[in-house]
Amino acid sequence: MKNLTDVEIIESVKKGNQADFSVLIDRYKNKAFTMLKRMLKNDFDAEEVLMDCFLKAYNNLSTFKFESKFSTWFYRIVYNSALTKLSSAKRKIENEMSSVDDLHYLESKYLADDFIKEDNSVLIKKIVNELPPKNAAVVSMFYLEEMSTEEICEVLQISVSNVKVILHRSRNLLREIIEKRNLFQEVI
Amino acid sequence: MNNIDDELLNKYLDGELNQDEKDLVRISIESSLEVKKRYEALLKAHNLLNSIEEESPSIDFTKLVMNKLNKRSVIAQQQKYFLLSILSLLGLVILGITGYVLFQVISSMQPTQSSEMVTTYTKDLGDYISNLFGQKNITILGSVLSFIMLISGYFLYDYQKHSKKNFSH
Repeated sequence: MKNLTDVEIIESVKKGNQADFSVLIDRYKNKAFTMLKRMLKNDFDAEEVLMDCFLKAYNNLSTFKFESKFSTWFYRIVYNSALTKLSSAKRKIENEMSSVDDLHYLESKYLADDFIKEDNSVLIKKIVNELPPKNAAVVSMFYLEEMSTEEICEVLQISVSNVKVILHRSRNLLREIIEKRNLFQEVI
Repeated sequence: MNNIDDELLNKYLDGELNQDEKDLVRISIESSLEVKKRYEALLKAHNLLNSIEEESPSIDFTKLVMNKLNKRSVIAQQQKYFLLSILSLLGLVILGITGYVLFQVISSMQPTQSSEMVTTYTKDLGDYISNLFGQKNITILGSVLSFIMLISGYFLYDYQKHSKKNFSH
């Protein structure tokens, strides 16, 4: 069963084999959870929203017409549910400008002396976990799910160039920090 | 060499440049220490992002979701049975009323010899139903039926509210 494609599993579930849906859950739960955790910054919320996403996916499986990949369709549910959770918690959904502000804040924060002695990989993990929701979603889909920018733009319902801008900004933030930290180390 | 901006380096990293642009960036990296440092830092950021591991929800997550789905199926089935029983009850009431009306129509017609026997047998039953729907009892019967419908409606509403709550948690 685990070797079946998403399409084969969905067809089986649609025929009434509800138990087969667990294969899809196992296939996507970790990646979707990682993305949600980075967007919501909270394990509990991430798990709660993820559960809701799988229930929504199951309920709407009959409307899935195989026009796109299941992963793209499912990540759209995940992304939109995360945004709903963020807005329902009255947290500000970042727009393009505030994303840049948040990135500047992260850059200045992690260039501070407090983080000089930290290992790069630990630091990068911390920074990634603090990225604004949209940046976190793009980075997760691009690096973890290995989705193309075209697929990501379908999930986020924005243009490919906007996806690239978000991805490059996130990467540039890390580059700046790595570059400047190396300079610090050289000076020390 | 100064026109090698971050955007171009990112595109070089993602393999999105044409051959001329690629050559330009490659030569810049080889000849300028500043561009080389920027590119190496970008490559390191890219590799670190690539190496970040995925995280997992609780161990029994799949089981929890499947339990919710199963519970939902059971609730949906119960709702179906409940609706069926309400509809059956209403059907019986409608059938009773139709039967009574039909009886009234038949008994008002001139009895023929062939139907005389049937009429005699059904007359007693007719009298009983007439009594039941008579001026005195019709109010009581109406009240009882309305009460049953109100109770059914309340339970139906409560059931739906309860199942909606189950879906959302």
